[in-house]
Amino acid sequence: MIEVKNLSKSFNDSKVLSDLNLLVEKGSIYGLIGANGAGKTTLIKHITGVFKQDAGEVLINNEPVLDNEKIKSRIGYIADDLYFLNGYSLKAMAKYYAQIYPHWNQERYTKMLTLFNLDEKKNLSKFSKGMRKQASFILAMSIMPIALILDEPIDGLDPLVRKKVWKLIVEDVADREMSVLVSSHNLKEMEGICDSIGILNEGHMILQRNLDELKSDICKIQIAFDGEEPSDLQEKLNILHKEKRGSVNQMIVKGNVTDIAKLLQSYHPLLLDVLPLSLEEIFIYELGGEGYEIQGIIF
Amino acid sequence: MFQIDLRNRMPLYEQIVENYKQLIINKVLKTDDKMPSVRDLAKELTINPNTIQKAYRELEYQGYIYTVKGIGTFISGDFQNSFDVEKANVLKETIKGAVLELLFIGFPEKDLKDYWNEILSSRKGGENNDRG
Repeated sequence: MIEVKNLSKSFNDSKVLSDLNLLVEKGSIYGLIGANGAGKTTLIKHITGVFKQDAGEVLINNEPVLDNEKIKSRIGYIADDLYFLNGYSLKAMAKYYAQIYPHWNQERYTKMLTLFNLDEKKNLSKFSKGMRKQASFILAMSIMPIALILDEPIDGLDPLVRKKVWKLIVEDVADREMSVLVSSHNLKEMEGICDSIGILNEGHMILQRNLDELKSDICKIQIAFDGEEPSDLQEKLNILHKEKRGSVNQMIVKGNVTDIAKLLQSYHPLLLDVLPLSLEEIFIYELGGEGYEIQGIIF
Repeated sequence: MFQIDLRNRMPLYEQIVENYKQLIINKVLKTDDKMPSVRDLAKELTINPNTIQKAYRELEYQGYIYTVKGIGTFISGDFQNSFDVEKANVLKETIKGAVLELLFIGFPEKDLKDYWNEILSSRKGGENNDRG
């Protein structure tokens, strides 16, 4: 379980994170999304115990992470900018890891090495970007982590490797109830794999929910009336966004999807379509609806 | 066994529930057949195990499957098709839409009844086959 309570952090005079809360349950896959510069990597560096917070708490399995060797030895972390010891091969890195991490699993390392088909004797600096990421993943998974933190993990991996990576993660989530925190801009992929989502904007967590609940709470409506649109619609519905295309109105509405459909049905519209939103649309409308600038968050 | 469509707007767990219902209703999966474990299905479909768990809970709640602790999940034999009014309304709307479209593209109205009987009799034929 990963828990962040009222976390604040400033660098010099600029506030990067303010009063931030986050909870990743045991055996859950949590997707952290946000525009560039929202503070995702800063948050992740607090969770992995790299940065010291100004205020608040960062806990993994109810223990503070900072300077806590026992907990840190159970965190698997794949950073955005990978680092390996200079001149080391994957084999040498594994040997080094085995000495440091008490739960190192050599058998698993060997198995994954074959699965990803990497040459463990080759100097890691000669690996391609994608291969280095795979090497880093093998190392992170072989320490048998209770928390796996992935900072934009999918960049530079081909679809086949991506599938392998997710399969291995899913297996560990099912078997050992590993907690996973993923930050990514690939919302389609996140939608398939995450059960919870947190949207970070300018150092605040503006939304943190179960993904299915989130989807049943906001919807896209296409509706056409015979004649004028009922005037009390605006008051009865929480409309985030409205657009008119010919005689068809398109609206993004917040609230219980079944209730909304029932209400609209009672007006006997000529046409009514209630569609769930994709994560990408939720992201854009949530940020746009709260008065933030939509521009700059283009995927 | 089946594909999950990430482009489909229906939530993933609902897609799994619907897929399994179809397999059970069409008797591809038979009474007391074992369901894959949550772990195996999660791995096969590369989907969050919690999503699979949720789908299984829903199927169990609706009476399509049952769980034996420590052994696994199985297809129910005597599941009663509890009449779901909401679902029936949705299906009726679908039929209405399809019929109206059918008439719009020029299907003769008088042939509708024959077509309707055809559907019903094909269903009865299937039932007879089942009795062997």
